Amino acid sequence: MITGGQSYVSAPPAFSADGRLLLVCSGRSVSVFSTATAMLVSELEAHEGDVTAVVVVPPPAQAAAAAKLASYCWTAGLDGALIYWDFVAAEVVRKVQVGLPVHSMVVPNICRSSKGAEVPTPFAFVSVEDRSKPVNDEKLLRGQIRIYDLTKGRQVGCPLAETRKPEKIVASSSGEFLGITNRRKLHIWSIPTKDFKPEKIRKIKLRHTKNLTTLAFHPSERTVAAGDATGRILIWRCFGNAKFSESSARSKVDDGRDGVRGNDDADTCTTWHWHSSRVRFLNFSSDGAYLFSGGLEGVIVVWQLDTGKRRFKPRLGSPLLFFVDSPDSSISCVSCTNNQVYLLKMPNMEVMRSIAGIKLPIASSTMGGSDRAVYGFDYTNRLVAIPTEDYCVQFYNLFENTEVSELQVCERNFQPVDDITMHISLVSLSIDGKLMCTVDIKLPEEELGGLVTLKFWNHGSSAGHYLLSTIIYEPHSDAGVSAVAFRPGRNMAVSSSFGGNFKVWVQRLSSQSSDKTYYSGWRCQSVGSYKNKPMTSAAFSADGSVLAVAAESVITLWDPDNNALVGVIAETLSPITNLSFIGTSGFLMSLCQSSRPQLAVWNVSNLSMQWSYSIYAEAACCSPDGSDFAVLALLNCPDGGTSTEQDGAILLFDAESPNPVASWSVKKARGGSVSFVKGDLSLDADASSRDSEAMFLVYVNCSHEYVIFDPRKSEELGVSKNTHKKIQAEEPAPIGYASIYGELPKVESKKEVTDVPFIPSDRPWETIFSGSSHVLPPLTKLCSAFLSSLLEKRPVANE
Amino acid sequence: MAADTSKPFFPAAPHSALLPSRSAASRSTPEGSYWRAFRSSELVSGAEFPITDLTFAPAAASGAKPTLAAAWSTSVHLFSGDPLKSLRRISVAGDLAFSPSFRCDGALLAAGDKKGVVRVFRSDKASAGALRTLRAHAAETRVVRYPVAGGDKLHLLTAGDDALLAYWDVPSETPVFTVPAAHRDYIRGGAASPADPNIFATGSYDRSVKLWDARTGNTGPSLSFLHGELVESVLFLPSGGLLATAGGNVVKIWDVIGGGRLLHSVESHVKTVMALTLGKMAGTGEMRLLSAGIDGYVKSFDFGKLKIMHSLRHPQPLLSVACSPCGSVLVAGSAKGKIYMGKRKKKAVDEEEGRKAVSGEIDWVSPEPEKPVLRPNYFRYFLRGQNEKAKEGDFVIEKPKKVKCAEHDKLLRKFRHKDALVSALVKNNPRSAVAVMEELVARRKLVMCLGNLDMEELGLLVEFLCRNATLPRYARFLLGVANKVVEMREEDIRSDEKLRVHIRNLKRMVAEEIQIQHTLQGIQGMISPMLALAAR
Repeated sequence: MITGGQSYVSAPPAFSADGRLLLVCSGRSVSVFSTATAMLVSELEAHEGDVTAVVVVPPPAQAAAAAKLASYCWTAGLDGALIYWDFVAAEVVRKVQVGLPVHSMVVPNICRSSKGAEVPTPFAFVSVEDRSKPVNDEKLLRGQIRIYDLTKGRQVGCPLAETRKPEKIVASSSGEFLGITNRRKLHIWSIPTKDFKPEKIRKIKLRHTKNLTTLAFHPSERTVAAGDATGRILIWRCFGNAKFSESSARSKVDDGRDGVRGNDDADTCTTWHWHSSRVRFLNFSSDGAYLFSGGLEGVIVVWQLDTGKRRFKPRLGSPLLFFVDSPDSSISCVSCTNNQVYLLKMPNMEVMRSIAGIKLPIASSTMGGSDRAVYGFDYTNRLVAIPTEDYCVQFYNLFENTEVSELQVCERNFQPVDDITMHISLVSLSIDGKLMCTVDIKLPEEELGGLVTLKFWNHGSSAGHYLLSTIIYEPHSDAGVSAVAFRPGRNMAVSSSFGGNFKVWVQRLSSQSSDKTYYSGWRCQSVGSYKNKPMTSAAFSADGSVLAVAAESVITLWDPDNNALVGVIAETLSPITNLSFIGTSGFLMSLCQSSRPQLAVWNVSNLSMQWSYSIYAEAACCSPDGSDFAVLALLNCPDGGTSTEQDGAILLFDAESPNPVASWSVKKARGGSVSFVKGDLSLDADASSRDSEAMFLVYVNCSHEYVIFDPRKSEELGVSKNTHKKIQAEEPAPIGYASIYGELPKVESKKEVTDVPFIPSDRPWETIFSGSSHVLPPLTKLCSAFLSSLLEKRPVANE
Repeated sequence: MAADTSKPFFPAAPHSALLPSRSAASRSTPEGSYWRAFRSSELVSGAEFPITDLTFAPAAASGAKPTLAAAWSTSVHLFSGDPLKSLRRISVAGDLAFSPSFRCDGALLAAGDKKGVVRVFRSDKASAGALRTLRAHAAETRVVRYPVAGGDKLHLLTAGDDALLAYWDVPSETPVFTVPAAHRDYIRGGAASPADPNIFATGSYDRSVKLWDARTGNTGPSLSFLHGELVESVLFLPSGGLLATAGGNVVKIWDVIGGGRLLHSVESHVKTVMALTLGKMAGTGEMRLLSAGIDGYVKSFDFGKLKIMHSLRHPQPLLSVACSPCGSVLVAGSAKGKIYMGKRKKKAVDEEEGRKAVSGEIDWVSPEPEKPVLRPNYFRYFLRGQNEKAKEGDFVIEKPKKVKCAEHDKLLRKFRHKDALVSALVKNNPRSAVAVMEELVARRKLVMCLGNLDMEELGLLVEFLCRNATLPRYARFLLGVANKVVEMREEDIRSDEKLRVHIRNLKRMVAEEIQIQHTLQGIQGMISPMLALAAR
């Protein structure tokens, strides 16, 4: 069993100390990526719940020399565990149990003086969710901030604060200040970093009139910035002068405390406004001159802190979530909601690399009534094609769990703030993956200017690369396209429309040279209709000889070459939405998804129904050979519609019998899909010898997480995916100063020079001051040597 | 922070592949502008005799000596100075003179005549009569050449229509050797090698070119190859390793070191090429092979790139061409007795200075004009380095390419939707206007724009709809827009006379279109039963 498609943007990522690795929370594991190549290096898997925080910490002091190579981090998860990792070796070092789901964690570097020396002792400040209180009461304080001593693994002191929901904790870079946003207030704690005791923590509050969403501390000054839900950015300077400074004798002179509310402990408060909706992140640059902010617009705004001037990094393509700077601030990364993490080269903010996860489904449900999720599966190359929000089709390799390519389908600039006026409604791939067809719809404005476009794509140089072959505007005048099917083994496709007809498209051979065949564009060969009923689905049989088109609730069978009606199969209860031939067997499977759902299997040879169920099926797929088909059924009626994450079940049938062969229960089934893909023979060698036609079943749920398994084996395969990952070999590269200016020449220590005067000599006082003055060691050193040379050495008595 | 180039930018425009590509405007090459800078004038005109030969004195010649000699009728015409002034004619024994040739120091001038007698004059005192008279030829001597290289002042090569080749010791008036029947036909082309004083090339009407070595001359040609046409002129290129021959309308370039291998053949003239010469470009010091033909063209050929760089047209057929050693004067002699002189205007000063500065240098090297040191009081100081070209190994950082936007695109980017629509309508390009409307639909702004148009703009829109609404390509969209306009702006339209006219037109167009559709449907109704019958 292989799982994949995790979200990379559920929590802020973290850079390693040298900036070469990026630790990204992905589901229950932490994926370590190389920033140079954006390839996966290793994965840290020990959490049982989703990982919510990862903090890279300096190595412990006792292992000073060896720890230079190793890198350590703390992670926290919803399973209530804090785990200490050596993330280069991907080993668990220590585990601390919290017991409650941890939503956020910071580990400020706190030193404790023991026996004169300062020993860094990690304390974790975690934001946990108190599960003992009921969920439905909004007023209850379910979030707590607790302190854990990580060396001893136990809680220290009492909870710092209680909030209605677990808040995200932000620490300043020095670890001196911690802060959270709590509705309209900002809570800031001053942490004694030298000699930590929970009692010595002091706290101030800063108030605002809107709900605050995020905050950031200035790296050097006592300045805090916070963003609110309306898009304003507030900057308090010199906060906590009265309370945090050691001499609290600051006279309260109210000489123009601009913008500070009430008697809040700050000097000034400035407000900036550019964002039109809630600010998602704020981050100061490491030198403290700039402030980065971002939100729904997909634009990073760079504020010059002193003047308030703005620069922009526009067109990142999706609402932004997190922004993290590397320690040497040459790279930063920004997480977008469409599951992409962009690595930005820092001074000019150029996108260097992107860590691309599977893109998320289009969020809005106002898409002209068709809220069916569409997926195209490439059976041969084991890819899934997902239409994305920014008018692209993303090809995602299911076995490798990596993005293969992205294809711009509609030539339009995507802005995350715009409402959807155009979307890709259909992606269909031929079974060998050589041909692709997309349908995109421009939604009309008050019935003006709607447009349906059918595009045929030819296979490019490698899997997942397609070249545009033909654009057909309004293929069925202004009616929408309900289904596109490719004829196996031929360059023929059929598109059926709700407007009452279907068209058979062919691609003509234009020229055939010695090594390559060239195809011209696609042309309509024939048009068919049946009693002017809307055509809702179409399918070719496995050998391509029969074309089945569903005319609302009637299945019509056609000869695709002559465009002649061959037969009609009796009616179903309601319009058919999905139709397909079951492999090479003579059966046809149909799905109805309306209020009277039906799953029916038809015998094509005698035009009769074999068997049927009245279950609501979200999706179905048939194996291209054999007589199996799988159905993703929802457990309860879809008309409830309120909860989007419905549980479902995958049922595997053999066409002959109505009894399911196997069944699996799955979560988040609504909006999901199932498909067969060709088995990867390299995955398990014993399977390849047994049956060459190994087939796997893929289940993609509504948030595009997927699982691949072998439907014929009941037990879990347990194929460890790490063994098959392409692990990127790391090459040492210079970082920081060395990356810009090159290695510094090794400074020859002055020792050799200073050694010169100490050459053993019979009369050292003669040579001790010889040499030019700038090579002489300091007089304090010379003096003792000179005096000792003057003293006469007494022979040792023991000899 | 420029816009991220990783994401493509799509302006609201019709698909670029569908637009016709504009042919690139013909650009002038720097080479062309160089040759065009020669101001053409007529040096001599009036007589009807052809100018068969033109030659410039080598650069070493100075003082009052003539710099240009032209064979013209029965005399050799001499010119000197700058601008060229006619000196006097040297009469050559009352018969047609051919092929004047200056000695390498420019002190002596030799010329042949129709009877085959070759005379040698002092070039500064030509009227004093011939110093030496060389008699061996029986027919006209069209080839008289002093050696170019090595400072050889004693010898002379002559060849003529009697196919005799003679190599003279001039002071003693006796031939060192003669080659009778060197060719099987008239010898009309000859050249001395710029690399070796002993090497000569001759070309003849027997279509062959022969290379002679004065040291072994009497034993026969050291190299011989076939040009293929009647050879009118031969010329060594500056290295001495390449030979250009002109015959027919073809100029061929041969590698004589490689044993007479044909390197390149230029067929740029329409008629016979009569003369070849080397021209030096004053600016860069590059050499060009200039060829003049009966068709009146002087063509400049870059033998480095093997490419014709420029053609200069003259009104009369040309027989001879010459270019001054520093490349500032180009003369061409016509068959009708005219000498056309082309001259670069401002370079005249340079030439004069150059002559003064470097007189003892090798031929064909013009002095480098000394670059003035740029100071901030000079305007060029602020422009320095702007025309610098990147060298081979330089790392070029390109200026980020600017995305070109149409005006409506710029307005759309500023969210000035109505202005964008109006600007597209004014442009009177239905494709872009429809593209803008579709973009507005995608932004959900079209209806608002239609409502906001003032009367004049509404007139524009309705006029546009009149013209384009029934075009099949846009009909589905634009008829919807027309409906919407009529529905929303009914009162405005009623109140304005102009708009009413437009609407009447629109109505008529729509009625016509409906009529057409009815007819088409009728035809379809007639045809479809026939098709159904035919299918059975």
